[in-house]
This record gives sequence, C-alpha cells and structure tokens, in this order.
Amino acid sequence: MERVMILNGSPRAPKSNSKRYAEIFTENCRIQTEYFNITKTNHESLCAKMKDVSNVLFVFPLYADGLPVTLLSFLKFLEENPPETRPVISILVNCGFIEYQQNHTALKMMQLFCSKNGYTFGSALEIGSGEAILSTPFKWLVKRKIKKLATSIIEKKYRIYGVTMPISKNMFIRASTQYWINYAKKNGVTKEEMASMKIE
Amino acid sequence: MNLILSDNPLNGLKRKENVHFIDLSALKIANCIGCFGCWTKTPGRCVIRDDAVKVYPLIAKSDHIIYVSRVKYGGYDTIMKTMLERSIPIQQAFIRLHHNETHHVQRDVAPKKATIIAYGDIDKGEKEIFRQLIARNAYNMNFQSYSVVFTEQDALVKTVENEVKKWNV
Repeated sequence: MERVMILNGSPRAPKSNSKRYAEIFTENCRIQTEYFNITKTNHESLCAKMKDVSNVLFVFPLYADGLPVTLLSFLKFLEENPPETRPVISILVNCGFIEYQQNHTALKMMQLFCSKNGYTFGSALEIGSGEAILSTPFKWLVKRKIKKLATSIIEKKYRIYGVTMPISKNMFIRASTQYWINYAKKNGVTKEEMASMKIE
Repeated sequence: MNLILSDNPLNGLKRKENVHFIDLSALKIANCIGCFGCWTKTPGRCVIRDDAVKVYPLIAKSDHIIYVSRVKYGGYDTIMKTMLERSIPIQQAFIRLHHNETHHVQRDVAPKKATIIAYGDIDKGEKEIFRQLIARNAYNMNFQSYSVVFTEQDALVKTVENEVKKWNV
C-alpha cells in the first residue's frame, strides 16, 4: 500500500528532535504515514509491518559521526528478518553542527545497508543545526525542505537535500553557546561548571 | 597513556606493562540515552553508572590509542559504537571552530596518535566509507594523526602487536 512508515532511530525517541521532524513530515506528506519509535523490544513487530508499506523513512540523529546504536541494532535485526517485499528506504538525519554535510557518512552507511540488502534507496534530507533550528525563526526553512522530501518520495523523484541555519559559523557558535547555557540553567548548572575540563 | 580498546578479547595477545588493554566485549555498557546529562547536569560525568565510566577517562588520557572493531555498514559494529557514544562526557556542549568546521570543545583530552584496526568481511566501497568515518572522527575525537588498518579476524592479534611495536614504548 502507498504509505510511509516512519521509524525514529533516536535513543531518546519519545522526547527527540527526530520526533518533531517526523511530525512535520506527516503534516506535509500527501499520503498516509505511520509513526513508530524503534525500541529494544519492538524490532520483530516493526519488521513484520514493513511488508505492507511502499516506503520507510528513518529519522535519526548523527551520533559520534555515524548511525546511533538504536538504529544500528535495528538494521542488523532487519538484515536477518527481511520483509517479503522490500519498501524504498529514505532518511532524514540531523546533527547539532551547522554543516549539514557532517551527516554525509551516516547517509553513505544507510545507502550501503540498502545496496547490501536489496532495498532501493530513495531520498535523503540532511539537517544541520538540528538541535535548535526548530526553536528559531528558521523553522520554515526546515518545513519547506521536509515538504520537498515528502514530495520526492511520493513522486519517486529521489534526491538528496540539505538544510541548516543561514547564518555565519561565528554567529552559530555564539547562538549555540547561549542555547546550551540556557539549557543547563534549568538544571541549576552554570556556564563555568559546564566548561569544566574535569572528566569523572 | 597507551591504550588498546578492543571489541574482541584478542586471546593470546602479548601484554606489555605500559600498554593498557580493555576488552569491551567483557564489560557491561548500556546504550547512550541522549539525555545530555554529561553536558548540562553533571558536566564530565555520565548519569549511567556502568562500566563505561571507567573507560572514557582512559580514552581521554591516552596519547597512543588503538581501536579494534568489527565493521558494520561502513561503521563500527555495536560494541565499539556503544562505547564511543558513551564517551561524550569527555566533550563539552559548547561548540568551537576546528579546521573551519563546527565541533565540540574537548575537556582534558590528550591529543592522540590513533590507529584503527578494522576487521570483518569488508569490500572496497565499505572500506571507503569507513575511511571517511575515521576522517570525521579525527576532528571530533582529538586525533593528532591516525592510520586505518584493515585485516581479518584471524590476523587480529598479530596486527595489534605489529601496531604496538610502532609506538616504541
């Protein structure tokens, strides 16, 4: 059936930015979507559902320059338990750095998974400054690209998209520093404490 | 500090007094839950108090380090990747410019001469992706220099011993 199964590979899926990106995708997708968080215990049921969908969209954050273990573990399970008919796999990956290109290795890894396992790789959207962009006036840029991503998947005109905040790197560093100071302030932690050089 | 961090027990490896060896496969290490606690609640400390908290301080201290990992989809397989994700307490939330790209500020992390020994059934395309990954890691994990060595599981012990010899320690 023509629908998109959205799988969230973030380790903190219920509270993740990936979940918010998935919601925007659903709002801007003309065909039906179904959303699931990947957990340690639902690999089997997710793989079983995959045979009924035309498209899968993995939404996940970049972790240590690659795929988060939550997603990696699921892919390994999927490799052993493939659906009878293979959906087209697309991705939406985000990182906290301003350069959306830092996601590119993760994109290549997903393409490799697809080519090794007989899936068509569809489209991709790489998001930079992904931790904060949805809380800024640049949110519309992300929405616009997610809409393009959805359309490209539906129309089978697959493409690789990228989006980030349209500001200088120095301005980004100042903004992200303030973002993190405010984040820690809610926990009663100061900028100086956050900048501690001590480990453990 | 000289450190070998391995996802394989490397049975039969010649041990040296001044080279610390950690077999990750024998440790209990949970997945990072992405809580940002190590950046914004207890800076420098992970809230999950399992074996990972003994490992990341040693990664930070090491100036010679060998990572031994099976390769999966052009990246580290689960054991090593889990440990690397749990190592973010050694960085700060704050971002700096490094090689004209944005990266996290490191805490007290020694610059590293790193060797990555990658094993498994790895074809040419997968090797290329893995090399790209290590080039990214070099910026984010404070490598001063690095080399990537591909090998078979059967040849791991010998490969590690050869690389340790090059340290002259």
